Amino acid sequence: MSSVLKILNVAKTVKTVCTSISNKSLTNSLLNRIQCQQIQISQNAFFFYLSTRSFHSSRPCLDLMQFFDDPKNWSENEVKVGRAWKLEELRIKSNKDLHQLWYVLLKERNMLLTMEHECNEKMELFPSPERLDKVKISMENLETVVRERNKAYHLLETGETGERPSRVVYNALGLRHLYKSCEHVLPPHMNVKWIKSRNIGFGGRAVRKFLLLYREKLYNVKRKAKNRSRNEVMMMLRRNPNIDIQIIRSKYPDVDVDKLLRDDKTRGHFVPKVDI
Amino acid sequence: MRLTQFLATKLKNFSNFPKEYIERSKKQVYWKTPSGLPNYTQRTVERKRFRYTTNRPWTGQFRQQNMPGTIRKKVFLNPVDEWGFFRGDRVEVLVGKDKGKQGIVTQVIPERNWVMVEGLNWHYRTVGAEEGFPGILIKSESPLDVTKDVRLVDPSDLQGTEFEWRYTEEGEKVRVSARTGRLIPIPETNNQTHDYKTPGAYIEREKDTAAAVVSEITFQPKLSTFEMDIMEEMGIEEERIPKKTYWY
Repeated sequence: MSSVLKILNVAKTVKTVCTSISNKSLTNSLLNRIQCQQIQISQNAFFFYLSTRSFHSSRPCLDLMQFFDDPKNWSENEVKVGRAWKLEELRIKSNKDLHQLWYVLLKERNMLLTMEHECNEKMELFPSPERLDKVKISMENLETVVRERNKAYHLLETGETGERPSRVVYNALGLRHLYKSCEHVLPPHMNVKWIKSRNIGFGGRAVRKFLLLYREKLYNVKRKAKNRSRNEVMMMLRRNPNIDIQIIRSKYPDVDVDKLLRDDKTRGHFVPKVDI
Repeated sequence: MRLTQFLATKLKNFSNFPKEYIERSKKQVYWKTPSGLPNYTQRTVERKRFRYTTNRPWTGQFRQQNMPGTIRKKVFLNPVDEWGFFRGDRVEVLVGKDKGKQGIVTQVIPERNWVMVEGLNWHYRTVGAEEGFPGILIKSESPLDVTKDVRLVDPSDLQGTEFEWRYTEEGEKVRVSARTGRLIPIPETNNQTHDYKTPGAYIEREKDTAAAVVSEITFQPKLSTFEMDIMEEMGIEEERIPKKTYWY
C-alpha cells in the first residue's frame, strides 16, 4: 500500500515538473519515463485491454510472482515460443498498441532475467534461453519503428530529424571521435565553462610522434590482413589445384592470383598427374 | 556478403534460433575493459576463430571442442560461390564406400561446406568402452564436402548432375541441372524447423500473439510524434512552454 502511495506521489510531482514536448529526443525520453511512472497507476486497465487484444494472456495478478515464469514451466527442458516481432509487423500497429506491447515485452524480459538468475542460483538449467534474444530483438525493432515515426514528423515539421545532434571532433591526441551534443540552458558563446572544457587543440612534438606511431599501427593491421588473405589463397591453391579461380578472384579481390599461380609456393607436395 | 544474404533467404536454419542467440551462446570473452570508466578505451579480448564441426555452436559439445584458451589448426575450405544444397535434396555420393549411391540430405553445415546424407557414408563409433567392457557400436554418418564429395540428382532421369543458379522469366532464382536444363526445386523439407514442419502447421502457444492480431492494421497516419499521440490518448495535457535550450 505504501508503495502505491509513493508511486502516486511521484506521479504527482512528476506532473508538476513535467516540461512540454520539444523537438529533441532527449526530452522525449524524459517524457517517456514520466509516462511509464504514470502507467503504473492505471495498470489494471492496461492488463484487461491486453487480454482482450490477446497480445498477452497472463492472468491479471499483481504480486511479485509476476517476476517468475508459470510454475508449470519450471521443470521443463524447453519452453516453446514463437519468433520475435518483425519490423514490418510493428509498422502497421498504432502508437497505442506499440506502447502497450513495449510494456508487455519489458515485463517478459524482467521475468526471463529473473528466471535466468534464479536458475543459476539454484544450479538449474534455464529452459530456452533464446527467449531473451527474441524479446531483445522485438524491443529493438519496436524502438526503431517509434524512431522512424518521430523522425518523419520532425522532418516534415522542422526539416530536421529531431535526433540528438552529433559531429566529428578531434581530441587532445589528434584522434577523431563522434561528439554527441548536449542540451544547455546557456548559448555556447556565454557558456564559459563549456568553452574552456572544449578549447583543446592538438599539436606539439609528443602528439606528432604519437600520431606517427598510431598510424603505423593502423597500417600494420591493414598490411597483416592483406598478407593473411594472400597466404590463405596460397594454401587453398596448394591443397586443391583444381580449384575454381573465378570464385577466388571474386572473393579475394586484393590478392593477385595470377602472380600466386606462378609462385612455387602454390605448388602442392605431390607428383602432378600427366595425361599421356 | 552476397553469399550470406543469399543463405539467409534460402537456407532455413533448422534450430530456428535467432542469429543473436547463436552468436551469444558460442561467445568466449577472455577479458573486457570495465564499462563506464573514462580511463579505459573499450577493448574486448575474445575468441575469434572457432572450429565448426557437426556439433552446433549452441551446444555443450561445441564448447568442449572449442575449449577456452585452446587454439585449433585452421581448416582451409574450398570457396563456394552460391550455396546449392538444402535439406531434403537427393544427392549422389562420389567418394567412399557408398560411392555412386543416392540419398537424402538430412543436415547442412555451411560453415564447413558439409552435408550429411541419410544412411550413407557411415562408420561405426565405439561408445562407453572401458576395462572389461568393449563398449557399444553406434552407426554414425560422416559429413560430405559439397565441393567434391557429392552432386545433386537430376529429377528427370535420377542421374547425378552439376547444377547452376539461373533466373526464370518471372525473375525467380532457381536451380537448374547443367546436363538436361531441368529445374531442381528446393525441397519443402528445407523449411522444416525444430518448432514446426511447415510455418502454417505451427501450434500457437500461450504467450504467442495470434496471427490475426499480428496482421491487423491499426496504424492511422497522424501529424504527431509517438509521445504526443500517447499523451493525447491518455489525456495528459501540457500548457507550459519550455524554456529555450541550446544543443552543442
